[in-house]
Amino acid sequence: MNGYAGKILRMDLSNKEISENETPKKLINSFLGGDGFGTKLLYDEGSSPAFSEKNPVIITPCLFTGFPVPTAGKTIFHSKSPLTNIYAESVTGGGIGAAIKHAGYDSVVITGKSEKPCYVYIENEKTEIRDCDFWGKNSRETAKILKRNLGEDVVVASIGIAGENLVRFASVDCEDRQTGRGGIGAVMGSKKLKAIGVKGTKDLTPDNPEKLLELVEKWYKPMIESPAYNDDTKYGTGEFLEWMNNERGTFPTKNWQAGTFDGHKTISPYYWAPKYVKKNKACLSCVKPCGKLFKIDSGKYKGTMLDGIEYETLFSLGSNCGNADPEALAKANELCDLYGVDTISCGGAIGFAMEMYEKGMITKKDTDGIELKFGNSDAVPIMVEKIAKREGIGNILADGVRETSKKFQGSEDFAIHVKGMEPPAYEVRGIKGMGLAFMTSPRGACHLRSGAYALELTGKFWKFEGVDRFSSKNKGNEIKSMEDFMTVYDILGVCKFSRGIFLINGVLDFVEAVTGMKLSENEILKIAERTNNLKRMYNVREGITRKYFKLPKRITSEPLPDGVAKGRYIKPEEAEEMLDDYFKARGWDKNGNPTKEKSRELGLENI
Amino acid sequence: MKALVPYPKNCTGCRFCEMVCSLAKENLVNPRKARLRILKKDVASDIPVVCTQCGKCIEGCPQEAICKDNGVVKIDAEKCIGCGLCVEACPFNVITMVNDVAVKCDLCNGNPLCVKYCSQGGVKFEEVKA
Repeated sequence: MNGYAGKILRMDLSNKEISENETPKKLINSFLGGDGFGTKLLYDEGSSPAFSEKNPVIITPCLFTGFPVPTAGKTIFHSKSPLTNIYAESVTGGGIGAAIKHAGYDSVVITGKSEKPCYVYIENEKTEIRDCDFWGKNSRETAKILKRNLGEDVVVASIGIAGENLVRFASVDCEDRQTGRGGIGAVMGSKKLKAIGVKGTKDLTPDNPEKLLELVEKWYKPMIESPAYNDDTKYGTGEFLEWMNNERGTFPTKNWQAGTFDGHKTISPYYWAPKYVKKNKACLSCVKPCGKLFKIDSGKYKGTMLDGIEYETLFSLGSNCGNADPEALAKANELCDLYGVDTISCGGAIGFAMEMYEKGMITKKDTDGIELKFGNSDAVPIMVEKIAKREGIGNILADGVRETSKKFQGSEDFAIHVKGMEPPAYEVRGIKGMGLAFMTSPRGACHLRSGAYALELTGKFWKFEGVDRFSSKNKGNEIKSMEDFMTVYDILGVCKFSRGIFLINGVLDFVEAVTGMKLSENEILKIAERTNNLKRMYNVREGITRKYFKLPKRITSEPLPDGVAKGRYIKPEEAEEMLDDYFKARGWDKNGNPTKEKSRELGLENI
Repeated sequence: MKALVPYPKNCTGCRFCEMVCSLAKENLVNPRKARLRILKKDVASDIPVVCTQCGKCIEGCPQEAICKDNGVVKIDAEKCIGCGLCVEACPFNVITMVNDVAVKCDLCNGNPLCVKYCSQGGVKFEEVKA
C-alpha cells in the first residue's frame, strides 16, 4: 500500500532469530501507523516484567515520517517501563524512523536478551546482530563509531552508560534528539543492546506526489507565518517560561513546593539565548526549529555543548532544584544527553533528594559530602553523574522518586510522581484539568498525552472555549477529547507544537496524499480513541486499578504558597470528581475499565 | 550569475530540502535521489552540500551529454549512457544515478525548491562571481 514500507521486522536477541512479515492490512485499517501500530504491537507481545526477555522494544516511524510534511518526522518507541512497570511510549524527532522506513519497515520489534553487548545493524533487508566493543561509550561517541564503521549515512539510536547501568529512567539517544520518558534506554540495557544503526536506501512512494507537493506549498507559509514561528526559532520551547512563572504562577519549583521561581530570569531563554546559542537545530522535517545549539565558551563549564535547553529541562534541572545558573543547567542537560538519562525524571529525583536533605532525612554522609541544598547549582551536574553511574546516593535515586520514597520514611508525603512517573513542568494546582491529565495518562504524569495545558491556560483551543483552569467541572470530556486529538499527531508523527496550525482537517489532506485513504475527522479520531483504549487495556492487564490514578499528596493537600495561583490546590474530592467525569466520557466503568459496549464499538472486544 | 550557496551556520539539519527535492524531481521521496545533501557530522554541524554548477562533470563526461546552458549545467538523458564518470568527476558528490541515468541539480527553472522551503537560509540562491 502506498505510503507504507510494507513490512514489520522482528528479531530475538536471545536466539538471534530474525524474521519479517507483511504489515497486516487490518493493522493499517484499525491503527493507521506510528503510535497506533506501536501500541497494538506492544499489547500483542503480552505481559512480562520490564527487564525480562519477553518485554519488547518497538521502534515505529509514524505515518508521515520520511515524507516532506512540514514538522512531521517523529519516531515512537514502545515498551514496558522499568520506572513505572506499566505501558511506556516515548517520541523522538531524530532520523531513525525515516531510516527504518527507507530500509523497508513500518516497525521494528526487538525481544530477547543478548549474552554479550551487541548492536543491531539494519541495511535495507539485511539485518545483523553484531558484537559490540564500544559498551561504555557515550551517545556521541557511539554514533561516531558506528558512522565511521558503517558509513556517514547510517542513522543511529543508542544508549549511554545510564541505560547500561539500568537507570530506570534511561533514555535512548537518536543523534542528539532523545526519547526521554519511561526508561526504554534501560530496557535496551537489560537486553545488552547498545545501539541500532540503520542504512535505508529505498524509495518511499506517496499515493499522489503532485498533491503532496501542492500541500507542501499550501502549508509551508502558514507554518512560518504563525505566531509560534518567531518564538520557536528565537527562543525555543522555553519561550513561555516567564509567562508560566509570572502570569500564570504555574512553574513548579523546588520539588513542587512553589509555583514560581525567583531565579526565573536567568534560566529563561530571553536571557540565555542571545548569550549562548550558536545556531538553530531541528527535528527531522521541521521548518520552524525550536532546537538550539547551546555552547559555553569560557569558565568552569567551558566546552559544554548540547541541543537545548528545553522548557521541561529548565524546570527539572533548573527551578525544581532551585538552580538559577544556566551554565550548570546546561552542563547537567549535556550529561543527561551523553549518558542517556531523561532530564525530567532525573531533575525530579534530584529535587526530591534536595528536599530530603533540607528536612534532614539524608545528610552529607549519604551524599558523599555534597551540600545537597536547593540552589546549589554545581551539585546538579554532579548528581546527574552519580545517578548515571549509580554511585552512592545516585544508586538509589536511579530507581526513580517512587522507589526512593519507599526507603525513607516520611518522604512519601513529598514524593512527586503519578503512577511512578515524575511529572513535567506544569504546576497542576493552578491548572486543574492538567491535574486530571496527569492522572489519566497511560505512561504516568505527562503533558503530551493531552497537551491540555495550552487550552487550560489560555481558555480556548480547537472546539473548546471558556475553559476555567481553576475549576474541576467539565474536565472529563475535555481531557478525553484532547488525548484523542493528540494521539492523532503521534500516529501521524506531526509535532505537537503544530497542532494549532494544522488542526485535524489540515492533516487529513496529507493522509490522503501519502496513502490514498480518505478519512474524516471522526474516523481518524476513532482510530486515536481505539489506540488510547488499547493503552488502557495494557495497563488494566498490569493491574492498574483506579487507586493508581492518583495525584501526589502535595497537590491534593497543600495550597500553592505563592504567585498568581496562590492558595489553589486540587482537593481530593475534586480529583475523584474529575476522574469519574473522565471515565464516563471514555465509556469506562467506575474502575476505569473499558465497558463491553465501548470495546465492541471500537472493535477491541476480541483482543 | 545566480547559484546555490550553502550557509552551514543556518542549516538546522531538518533535511526537508532533500525530501522536497526528490519528491519534485522523481515523484517519490528518497534523500539519495535528491540533488543536494545534508552532511551531519555531529550535533554542531549540519552542512548543506549543493551543486555550484561548476561544470567539472562536463569535462568528465565521455559522451558530451553534459553542457552549460545559461548558467545551468544540464545532463541530456538521451545521450547519457549511465557510465557514472560524471559522478566521479563531481567534487561535491551531488550527481546521482537514477535508473542508470545521471541526474543533477537544474535549479528548478530559476526557483530552487530547496531554497524556497528552507525557512532558515541554510541554502540561498544568490549572485556569485562567474
